[in-house]
This record gives sequence, structure tokens and C-alpha cells, in this order.
Amino acid sequence: MISALTEADVIDAVRAARAMNRTLEITGAGTKRAYGRPMFCDDVLNVSTLSGIVKYEAAELLLTVLPGTPVAEITALLESKNQRLGFEPADWGPLLGTPIGNATIGGVLSADVNGAAAIRYGRARDSLLGVRAVNGMGEAYKAGGKVVKNVTGFDLPKLICGALGTLGVLTEVTLRVYPKPAQSVSIIVRDVNVEDGFALLRRVWQSPLEATALAYIPASLPLAQLGYVGEGAALIRLEGAHEPLKEKIAALLAIAPAAQQIEASSFFEAISSGAIFAEQSCDLWRISVPPSEAAGIVRHMGSPLFAADWAGRFIWIGLEAGGNGAELRALCECAGGQATLVKADKETRQRVAPFSPESPARRAVTKAVKAAFDPQNIFNPGRMWKAV
Amino acid sequence: MLLPAPKPEILARRDSIVRRLRVLAPDGVVADEAGLTAFDGDALTAYRQKALACVLPKNKEEVSAVLKFAAEEGIAIVPRGAGTSLSGGALPLADAILMGMGRMNRIVEIDYENRCVVTEPGVTNLSITRAVEARGFYYAPDPSSQIACTIGGNVAENSGGIHCLKYGLTTHNLLGAEIALPGGERVKLGGKAGDGGLDLLGVVAGSEGLLGVVVEATLRILPRPPVTRTLMAAFRSVPDAGQCVADIIGAGVIPAAMEFMDRNCIGAVEDYCSPGYPRDAEGILIIEVDGVAAEAAHAAERVTEIAKLAGASAVTEACDESERTRLWAGRKAAFPAMGRLAPDMLCMDGTIPRHALPRVLVRMAEMSKEYGLGFCNVFHAGDGNLHPLIIFDVMKEGELARAEAFGAAILQLCVEVGGVLTGEHGVGVEKRDLMPVMFSDADLAQQQRLKCAFDGAGLFNPGKVFPSLSACVELGHMHVKSGRVPFPNLPRF
Ligand SMILES: Cc1cc2nc3c(=O)[nH]c(=O)nc-3n(C[C@H](O)[C@H](O)[C@H](O)COP(=O)(O)OP(=O)(O)OC[C@H]3O[C@@H](n4cnc5c(N)ncnc54)[C@H](O)[C@@H]3O)c2cc1C
Repeated sequence: MISALTEADVIDAVRAARAMNRTLEITGAGTKRAYGRPMFCDDVLNVSTLSGIVKYEAAELLLTVLPGTPVAEITALLESKNQRLGFEPADWGPLLGTPIGNATIGGVLSADVNGAAAIRYGRARDSLLGVRAVNGMGEAYKAGGKVVKNVTGFDLPKLICGALGTLGVLTEVTLRVYPKPAQSVSIIVRDVNVEDGFALLRRVWQSPLEATALAYIPASLPLAQLGYVGEGAALIRLEGAHEPLKEKIAALLAIAPAAQQIEASSFFEAISSGAIFAEQSCDLWRISVPPSEAAGIVRHMGSPLFAADWAGRFIWIGLEAGGNGAELRALCECAGGQATLVKADKETRQRVAPFSPESPARRAVTKAVKAAFDPQNIFNPGRMWKAV
Repeated sequence: MLLPAPKPEILARRDSIVRRLRVLAPDGVVADEAGLTAFDGDALTAYRQKALACVLPKNKEEVSAVLKFAAEEGIAIVPRGAGTSLSGGALPLADAILMGMGRMNRIVEIDYENRCVVTEPGVTNLSITRAVEARGFYYAPDPSSQIACTIGGNVAENSGGIHCLKYGLTTHNLLGAEIALPGGERVKLGGKAGDGGLDLLGVVAGSEGLLGVVVEATLRILPRPPVTRTLMAAFRSVPDAGQCVADIIGAGVIPAAMEFMDRNCIGAVEDYCSPGYPRDAEGILIIEVDGVAAEAAHAAERVTEIAKLAGASAVTEACDESERTRLWAGRKAAFPAMGRLAPDMLCMDGTIPRHALPRVLVRMAEMSKEYGLGFCNVFHAGDGNLHPLIIFDVMKEGELARAEAFGAAILQLCVEVGGVLTGEHGVGVEKRDLMPVMFSDADLAQQQRLKCAFDGAGLFNPGKVFPSLSACVELGHMHVKSGRVPFPNLPRF
């Protein structure tokens, strides 16, 4: 394993790999190593050691950090100034079998993992303003900028975000951060079935309440902190200063008279991060569908193991281990969405493409883009698809 | 400004090309002198050039057919929406087909349940909001040109607007797009539910017509906030106003909009449409806050407090909708109002860190004296996105060159203080040769490699964005030399 302490170390490692025709697995804390297609790389390039806060400008709502910085450290730093990351990074560690709280910001961005609040503030890619990175030729470059509004040149940060390390190694990231509202309340609507629960979440999402979480869990996945849930529970988070929040709660009651405030709030993270499925032996899929189609798909699949985030746009669905997910995929594609296999054993992830296959035309673009960043296919080869 | 030399072999085949286009897009070809003059540039008015021919496709299939033909013949394409680009992005080339998307102007689907609109690219920005407002929704990105500019152009420029401070730029409100690649093949990116794989949609937004022709877009719509309040704060000094902006953001208040205008601009606008701005102020901020009633009230209170502490001489609030409209009408008329002061105008577009506002505003005033040209400042203050408007007269010997030099100096200053060359107008031809101020050769080479991945033959909008033409094969490894003259051996345009 090669551990990089500086960007120069990354450049050296990539140039060496290039010269010797070796492939590199890029890893931060390794919390998502079990995500994506299994890889067989010649070396591991560990960037969790490329860690630290470069510049935090609270008044500018900007944060520049090295990619190996733990998300927990960033969250604590922002908290000290009453700020936070808008996309509320979810920690997939526990779901995928590593301890909670290890994930690095580089890993979170590379996997584009988002939490509940992203429905209001946008996904990780929307907060990533600028990057420094090293490409497959061993050249460092920067893209984007360190201001909130910038259209100078192509928006390469978005492309790198979510590329699972297949396009290069991040060596510095600049993020937009958000002020933290003074107060936050969790609200539960108990005993609603999937159709009614999802419809209720959509109504809130279509209203101007700017909810920062819209989730659903069924009776079959009870969470002790929620108490009785009946058939299932719709879960909503509203935020703001004291008076505005009171008004929002009143408006919510007009939409959902059965809504009740509850003390607990950590269940939003438990749902977003998939941690509630950590003990299940099923394979876990994450689907992304137009919210209006979500309930139908969940019903059709009939799995008791599911949970929804983002008013149904993102849904975790547990299916029998070792299956190929073909039916789920077909349903999602038909609805204009897609399905990703997040948790399964190696053999299954090898056999079943974890990411939805692309159309031939799009696949050609993806391959060309990969070649534009990593022509020798050094970085995480085959992690997304066979060719990428 | 130098553009790639037209290829004589294409100019020589013009007649046969036009004949073929008439087959591919019947009744959608403009090839006569007068017709081409109508399309000979965009809102960067200093540059004019007639296209080889202009095609106005009616649908995706015609787009693809024309692109296929163009690729086979090696003819370049310049996509065009409404031609309101301020950076020359839609400037035609003598040997290229100008593809005007204006006839593809149908909204395909309004899906309230999933809060989105699927639209053809030629639909104007404002039409989206108009189509959904009866149900209490709107489309957030609102460039001042919104009655004219198209969604395709917005996507290509990643346009912003007054309300992107809180609600984001086009890219943050774009759920999906279908694009046509060189050769005509079409690819769907994103959609109502997004997609997996590489975020190709993310790079197509803001790609200035260099990666693909947008033939359809899926846009997110937002529920209209129940209450909107609009305040105006007047300042005796420009740096105070700049400080106020930084203080508001720093205090954790994110207004829906926060716009600045300086004294020159206030005067021009007052003469033009009398919105009721204080002529004696050195600068004003128009600040809009929204949300549920208590939220807007809370924010309005905080903003008023902070503005007073920052030295505002007066903070007033629009008391009804008509006053609100009037306050905004002044801001939106800034361009035409300044336009009356001189025959020509250059609108710059750098973004700077908000804390640098006071310093940069002072320095720009000094530069105006050095270059001997008038200017005014009107800008999206909350994002630190400056729009200095430089006024000049092309007919006066040397003024265009001086105006461009002044503009370039402003943008260099923006980069020096940690900002960027363009916040929302795009690079186009206007800022193309300044790209090296912000990006190293390695940075630019990586961007160009992406271009090559989409458009290896360099057929889409050549001569825009990148200061030097590198053949895609050259970029395989890094051999871009620094200090290379942009477009060597090309005739002056
Ligand atoms: C008075 C005025 C005010 C303005 N205010 C703002 C503002 O507040 N905020 C802001 O961001 N901008 C503003 N602009 C700039 C301009 O309106 C925007 O850049 C707008 O998005 C351009 O849209 P358009 O349809 O006119 O595109 P065009 O000018 O025709 O083209 C712009 C670019 O997009 C490409 N393009 C157009 N359509 C397509 C397509 N379908 N597929 C691929 N590429 C395409 C063109 O090749 C070109 O590079 C303003 C302009 C004016 C004149």
C-alpha cells in the first residue's frame, strides 16, 4: 500500500504506476471498498493520509480541505461556527461493515452519497465548487473555483464527484457550506401505508415548507426510537428560527393532521446511510425513481425490507441475496429511473452489474471520458462497469 | 478577437451544402444575405459575422439529420438559442452552420407530481414559470434576459439570475437533458429521477455548446414561497455596501436575492424609468427575503439590523406588490438605461470572494480613471458576482481596444483576489484569451481532453472558450507550451 501525504506523492505514485503498467485502487478510509464491482488492482493508493483543513472561511460559506479529511472532523469544525454541509453526507460504513465515523470527504464525494437534507440543499455534486486532482498521466490540475458562482471552463468537479475514483485522484476540494438553522424538529405520521405515506411526503415536498428530510419506513423495519408505527411511518424534518418554525409546523398540520413531533432525530441518518439494514442478510439495492412511481414499485417488489428517502426519489430495497435484480431494474427503467446494487457479496457484485447498464450511445461517451482522464486505465479499473 | 480561419474548401461548397440542408430541414434554412444578417451575432455586439448558412430545425430528428450531414462533410456547427449571450458564445463562423433552436419551442410535459417540466430547448426561460405559476410553482433561475433567452442557451451557459443566491444556477435546477452529439446520435442524461454512472449532465451544463446540442431539458420547478419581502438599503459609501453584503451572508442569512447598484447606475436608471432610487446615495442594495410569513419577517429584521450597523443611511421596504415590481424594474432596466449613455457597452462578469468586495470596488473606480472610460457597477452582490458595465463608443479611435483592456484588467483583478473570470455569462470568445489568467496549461489541457471525448473532430462551436486550438491527438500527453499565441497565423477577424 502506498500512502500519499502530499499531492506530489500522488503524482509520483501515478507516474510510477503508469511507467510500470500497474493499476491503482484509490482508497480513503476504505468504508466503501465493498461498493461497486470487485476490483483486482496491483497496488492500493491510500489518500486518507492526505488529510487536513486547508482553509475555512465561515463568512464566505466556503471550506477547502484535503480529501482524506474525515467527514466527522469537518462536521465538528462547521458545527463550531453554526454551519454544516448541505448534502448531509451519509456514512455507509456501518452498512458495508466498517465502523461508524471513519468516512473521508474524498470518499463521500467520489461516491456522491447524500443524506436527507440534500433534498433541500442539493446533492454532494451541487456543493463541490472546485477541485485539485491528479489524472492518469500523473499531472495535477485544478478545475472549478473557490467562489459560489462560477462558469469558467467545464464543470469538471461535477464529473469527478460520483465517479468512484475512476477518473483520477482528488488532492483538494472546495465546498460550499450552509448556515445551520436555529432549530430543527422531527415529525412523525404514524400508521400510514406506502401509498398514503409517499403521497403525504410528496404533498409536503410540493409545498413551500422546505422540509429538510422526507422519509418513510414500513412496520417491518421497526426503529425503537419511533415507538409504534402501525403500517409504517412518514418522517419529516422542518427547520428554522423559532417563530418561522412554529408557522411551518402549523402549516404541516394542515396537510397532515395526524403529524406528531418526536424527540429523536438520529433515525434520518439511520435511513439515509442504510444503517438500518446493516444486520439484514439480504442484498441491498438503492433505486432512484420519480417520486410518483415509487409506491407502485415498492408494492410490486413486495419486499418487506425497504425505506424511502427524499419523498420516495431514493429507496433502499432489500432483495434475496444472490439475485440479479433484473425485475427491479426493469421496473425502475420503465419508470424513468435506475437501480444500483449497493450491498452484496463479491460474487454477486461480480456477476450482476452493480450500476445500471448504459445505452450503447452513452456507453461510448462514458468510455471516451474515462480515456480522457485515465487513458491507461490505471484508476479503479472496472469499478463501475467492466470498461470503467 | 481572432477566430479560426474559414476553410476555403467549405466556403466553395456553400451552394451544395445549402441545397442539402433544404432537404434535411425543409422550410428551415436561411441562406440569403438579409436573413443571415439577422443572425450575425449575439449580445456581445462588438462582433458580427454571417454564418455559412443557418438551419432552424423543427424537431430532434432534424437536428440529428443535420448533425450527421455536417459530421460527414466536416462542417462545424454553432448552436444558437435566442442570441442573448454576452460572451459571444453564439457568434457565427463564416464556414459553420448556425443551428438556431428557436423553433423547438414546445413545453413537452408539466409534471407537478414530480415537480418538473420537460421542455424543448427553444422555449424561453420565462415561459416555464408562466406555464406553471397558476398552480403556485416557478422555475428559479431568472436571468435578466428571461423574456428572450432560451432554456437551451441557459443550459449551455449555466445561467444564473437574481435569485440564484438562494436557489442555485441552472445546473442546480436541471434534472436531465437529451443532447445530440456530433454525428447526430442522441444521448439522454439524467431525467426526472437522475441517473447513475458519470455525471455527464453536470459537465454538459455550462459547456457553451462545445459538447452537444441540447434538444430537450428536464427542469425542476419550485413551490412559490408564500411571502416575499423586498428591501432597499442606501449607502453613503460603496465599500460600506460591500461590507454589508459580507456581513449578511456571514451572519447566516441567505436572502433570495441581494443586488447592488452604484451611483452612476442609479442615476441612469432614474433617468430611464424612475423606480424611486435615492440619487444621492453612493450605492444601494436591493435585498429580497422569502419563505413562510414569519421566516420572511425574521430575515427582513436581521437584514435591516445588519444594514444599519454597516452604515446604511436608510433602509426602506416595498409596501406592496406594485412598489416591489417598481424596485425590481429599476434593477432590470440597468442595461438599457446605461445603454443610453453611450453607443456601446461591455458587460463584465467576474466573481470574487465577498470579503474582497470593498477593495475591488475601490480599485475599479481607480481603473476607470486610468483607462479614461466611464463605467457603472450593478451586480449580484450576494454571490460576489460583479457586472461592471463599461461604456464606450466603437466609432471613436481606440475606444473598443481600451474598453476591452479595462475589462480584462477587471477580470485579472477578480482572479488575483481569489475569484474567477465569469460567474454566469460564460467564456465564449470574449474571455477566451484570458483563460490562462485563471488556468494553467495542465488545467486547460484536461478540459480540452473532455471536449475531445465528446467531439473529437472539434466541430461544435470551434474558436470559443479555449485560447488555443489543440488537435485532440496532441492532448494524449501534455505538450501544450505556455505563452502560445492564440490562433497563430489567423487573419484578424
Ligand atoms: C440584457 C441581458 C441580460 C442578461 N442577464 C443575464 C443574467 O442575469 N444572468 C445570466 O446568467 N445571463 C444573463 N444574460 C446572458 C444571456 O441571456 C444568457 O447567457 C442566456 O442563457 C443565453 O441564452 P440564449 O438562448 O440567448 O443563448 P444564445 O446566446 O443563443 O447562446 C448562448 C450559448 O449557448 C449555446 N447554445 C444555445 N442553445 C443551445 C442548445 N440548444 N444546445 C447547445 N448549446 C446551445 C450557444 O452556442 C452559445 O454558446 C443577459 C443577457 C442580456 C442581453
